[in-house]
Amino acid sequence: MANIFPRYTNWLPIKILVCLTVVAASVVSGMAYYFTPKYTRVGYQPTQPVAFDHSLHVNQLGMDCRYCHTGVEKSSHSNVPSTQTCMNCHTQIKSLSPKLAAVRESWKSGNPVPWVRIHKAPDYVYFNHAVHVNRGVSCVACHGKVNHMEVVYHAKPHSMGWCLECHRAPENYLRPLDQVTNMDWIPPATTTQRELGEKFVKEWNVKPPVSCSGCHR
Amino acid sequence: MKRILQHPTAPTTGRIYWRSLGEYARTPDFEEWLHREFPKGAAEWENDPLSRRTFLRLMGASLALAGLSLSGCRRPEAHLVPFTQTPEWVVSGKKMSFATAQPRRRGSIPLLATTFDGRPVKMEGNPLHPVSQGATDNHAQASILDLYDPARRRFLTRANKKATPEDLAAEVARIRAEASNSLGASLAILAEETLSPSRERLRNNLLRQFPQATWAVYDPLTSGRDLAASSLAFGPNTDFRPQLAVASTILSLDCDFLGSDEGDIPDTRGFASGRRTRKPDDKMNRLYVAEPRFSLTGTMADHRLRLRASATGAFLLELARQIRSLRSTPDLNTLLQQAPDLSLPKGIDPAWIRECAADLVAHGQNSLILVGRRQPVAIQALGLALNSALGAIGTTLLVQPQLSAPSSNLASLADKVRSGAIRTLLLLGGDPVYNAPADLDWASLQSSIPNTIHLSPFFNATSARANWFIPGTHYLESWGDTLAADGSYLSIQPTIQPLWAGQSQLEFLTSLTAQSKPIGPSIIRETFATRTNFTGEKLEQAWQDFVREGFVPSLAITSPRTANPSAIATLLSSIEVAPADDIHSLEAVFTHSGALDDGRYANNGWMQEWPDPMTKLTWDNAILISKETADSLGLKNELSKGILIADVVQATLAGRSLEAPILIAPGHVNFAVSLPVGYGQEDLGPVAKGSGFDAYRLRTTGTDYLAQGLQLKPTGRTRELAITQEHQVMEGRDLVREASLAEYQAKPDWVKKVGMDGHIPPNQSFYKNPKLTGDHQWAMVIDLATCTGCNACVTACTAENNIPIVGKDQVIKGREMHWIRVDRYYTGEPDEPESVSQPVACMQCENAPCETVCPVNATVHNEEGLNVMAYNRCIGTRYCANNCPYKVRRFNFFDYNQRSLDKLYLGPLAPKGTEETIKLQKNPNVTVRMRGVMEKCTFCVQRIEEAKIGARVRARDSADLGIPSGTLQTACQQACPADAIVFGDLKNEKDEVGKLRSLPQNYSLLDYLNVGPRLTYLGRIRNPNPAMPGAKMHYIPSHGHTESHEQGNSHPVEPNGQSGAKAGHP
Repeated sequence: MANIFPRYTNWLPIKILVCLTVVAASVVSGMAYYFTPKYTRVGYQPTQPVAFDHSLHVNQLGMDCRYCHTGVEKSSHSNVPSTQTCMNCHTQIKSLSPKLAAVRESWKSGNPVPWVRIHKAPDYVYFNHAVHVNRGVSCVACHGKVNHMEVVYHAKPHSMGWCLECHRAPENYLRPLDQVTNMDWIPPATTTQRELGEKFVKEWNVKPPVSCSGCHR
Repeated sequence: MKRILQHPTAPTTGRIYWRSLGEYARTPDFEEWLHREFPKGAAEWENDPLSRRTFLRLMGASLALAGLSLSGCRRPEAHLVPFTQTPEWVVSGKKMSFATAQPRRRGSIPLLATTFDGRPVKMEGNPLHPVSQGATDNHAQASILDLYDPARRRFLTRANKKATPEDLAAEVARIRAEASNSLGASLAILAEETLSPSRERLRNNLLRQFPQATWAVYDPLTSGRDLAASSLAFGPNTDFRPQLAVASTILSLDCDFLGSDEGDIPDTRGFASGRRTRKPDDKMNRLYVAEPRFSLTGTMADHRLRLRASATGAFLLELARQIRSLRSTPDLNTLLQQAPDLSLPKGIDPAWIRECAADLVAHGQNSLILVGRRQPVAIQALGLALNSALGAIGTTLLVQPQLSAPSSNLASLADKVRSGAIRTLLLLGGDPVYNAPADLDWASLQSSIPNTIHLSPFFNATSARANWFIPGTHYLESWGDTLAADGSYLSIQPTIQPLWAGQSQLEFLTSLTAQSKPIGPSIIRETFATRTNFTGEKLEQAWQDFVREGFVPSLAITSPRTANPSAIATLLSSIEVAPADDIHSLEAVFTHSGALDDGRYANNGWMQEWPDPMTKLTWDNAILISKETADSLGLKNELSKGILIADVVQATLAGRSLEAPILIAPGHVNFAVSLPVGYGQEDLGPVAKGSGFDAYRLRTTGTDYLAQGLQLKPTGRTRELAITQEHQVMEGRDLVREASLAEYQAKPDWVKKVGMDGHIPPNQSFYKNPKLTGDHQWAMVIDLATCTGCNACVTACTAENNIPIVGKDQVIKGREMHWIRVDRYYTGEPDEPESVSQPVACMQCENAPCETVCPVNATVHNEEGLNVMAYNRCIGTRYCANNCPYKVRRFNFFDYNQRSLDKLYLGPLAPKGTEETIKLQKNPNVTVRMRGVMEKCTFCVQRIEEAKIGARVRARDSADLGIPSGTLQTACQQACPADAIVFGDLKNEKDEVGKLRSLPQNYSLLDYLNVGPRLTYLGRIRNPNPAMPGAKMHYIPSHGHTESHEQGNSHPVEPNGQSGAKAGHP
């Protein structure tokens, strides 16, 4: 019988297989790289309605995080400050600056400033700030060095796997409670983060939830 | 590679190409921003031509603008919007509780409203109040949905056109002028009962200005006959209430004090405390019930008699004679001098009454006779006199001042209206056009009045026939006050500004008396000052305490020790014998509806879907009838493919008729029917539409409770009824385990050998489950001896966990979403059954069959013993629900939260969206589930986590993470008035749950499956009287063995669990 198929089709199955494998691998690796929070979220730096400079207020002026983010030690939600908090100082300091026009407008009209939200956990995740801040997890562990950000950006991926890194090994992230808002703290020279953290885990009975009910209700 | 990305915004208006980066066009500061961001780059910009790097960056940006890249896939911009001025005490994300109360017709319920961010989300009982101690019932829980009901009319109307507040003010001025001319004779006010001392004070102010004005109070379910009986017995303006906690023998005659508005939360609590048995030598109370239909009180009865409501008089007279023959007193003799000699109805054994009387007399002052409060005056008065003869006044029956102020009634107001004297009628709440007696023809009477004003939160039938409609405020959005059943003074404070700019009754009355608009609680403050003797600073402090705690305790009541027999004796001759049994002239009883009360909750979705505790009927009412009577009339209920199809009859009474389905109710007396009121309101709102029939149309002034001569005729049509539990048997699986008190005392661990549990070897498992290492191990025990089956837990759970309603069609398919259900089982004959209720929620099995079958691991076990559900992972396989032996898992077949219930089958094509106000009610700590996701009871994991988080926040750098015992309660536990649900931590010795689990009468359902449930039950114990005729002393089932297990002849058990083939084993 004549050959029905030309010769090159001998190699076709292998070629197809290799091609599909390459395509699958690239799709998977592409998605793993580009479609995970590490890529899609980190670096998000929207423009805010008021160009608030954290590095000026926190680093230079030395304000504590909790002066403005008052709910962080008490509640699940860390609030952004009300206009009243800004005006506490800015009725006297830079009271006519054009950069603060939106704040003054808000104060006068009663309409709040619509800050753009950067860090947002999905609706099915129930994160509680108070329990982290009161138990030795610093702001910098999740939000990065906000005290050096002129414009706040999303510094950490905030994926579930990233959360579990700490929940499974809290000793790598705990620090003394009075240093929680000190963004630039590093462990003292006499010890390491790991050692210090393990001490805290034992003394404070730190047991972060690793089962689903810890965050998904 | 980390890039700092700018958020792309709307395209610009055509600026120069490489400067049109969106933000630059919008924000004037951007250049400076850019300057700081790329200081070097800015310099390059100016001087250099486009470098390659810059070019590529800008190209990328412009492509983003052109929408070709991922701008469409970018995360939508969300906003954080704070306050401009932070209100005091508000911490965003934390709840605040405010003490308030829900006004009720006979005794308001003290409540705590849980609020988040300035809006109430859930109602709890006020734990400080001695009478409720933190419990609620289903209506208190459901009332929050009424606040957010989208059907509330939002604006002032006059003749069905929008009006302005100025128009209303002009109208008020006109009314005042008109009333002044006639000293108020032209003015009438018809109010619903709210027991508000402030409203009384304002009423007195009004009547001082207009002395001839008529103030009438109408409530369809209060007859006033109980107060009349009390005045006869104990003097004018008195009322009585039971103290069930100290009652050891209780006889209830047509008085459903556990399940209807005849009783209250403290009654359930008191009864349950007498019922609770922890040790074999604990004393238990005993309940005798004689009633026409099977009620919750009948469920808890140790001896139950089916008695027509009209035969209560004959029964009570016979009881009186029996009591006198056992313990004669001069008062009893005086009482029964003129008593007629009435024959008992057919089938009633006089021995029943005799032994019951003996039991009551034996317990003297600790016995109690309760007669339904809508029975005729003579019968109720006789009951009070008998209580007095037994010595119960002051112990089990307390006499107190009447809580409601004397007012005109609807009939006398109707006379005045007919005479033409009334020119302005102000209706404060209520719905007389819907629920007034049919013979009054109130609708046309009201229309005949030149000017009518209806102030009400809902636009109902009465509003449709009124000139003016003023949107009234709900109790959660206004200041007020009220009285609890024990006379304590309760404060009502608003938890949210009025949603629709409504007015409260108090505010409107103030305007009617030409006083200035009240500021905040000023009206209540004035009333408070008059009720207390404080002044100055002490008054201020007392006021603050009053508002914060929600009540001031009632003043001590001194009650007379005896009832006055001579006043009652003359009335007894009016008691009539019950009419003869006649299939063509049935007795009709108009009953309160467990779900809708008198009809006020008809547009409340939770209450429509709330299964009636005995009939398990939702979204409808039906004429309840006994099987025998139905068979005689040729009426039936058919169960076809799992759907209950009920015959529809035409019910005719005194010339009026309506059509209604009939429902065969086991335990209903023959030759009588029950008609629940409150349904059939077609114009109240979308939820109420099409739901049930309107029984009020058959009620007349004389027959507001009981009527003779009802005829039922089959129409040949049928109606599908949505019943949540068709199955009435347990299919032999011993889910509910009962014993009599004697059996319990003889064998406290009887539960362990009932059913399959007597045959199984020790449970073994081949699964290697992860170890339960948590510091807390959660468990729950439900005590069947105290659970009355009131279903308050069901509504509390619905409110707490954002559980959607599904509509009648879906309930028929068995898709109701209740995470906890109360199974009601009958035992015995269909017409003479006994009944038991069993709440069933997720058992949180240690060896859960649902966890092993989930293909995506959406349901796992946490280290504290909870079976946990991750909704976002669930793909809707439903294998877990399939595997659950208790069928406690509920699946979201449709997007119930976002789609209209009548358009569910359109799926994604249906219009999407929930009313904004309904969204406000959702608990922010619980996920709102979407279509395709499985859900189930979580033991209120959000409350558990909140408690654990609280413990850690308090601990800070210490190691003590304990949760104080009693601070963490699940929603169902918190609501239960009988304290039948006990939840807690097995590892905490102070928590009661560990002790209860180790009691001998503790058992788990389907123990032989070896799933290791964390939710267990305490067996139901009954306390029958051996001397009673027909007393059933043996509840523990035997298997038909020739030898019983108790005698030690147990079967030798083979390793595979099969017992050997012994003679006599089924």
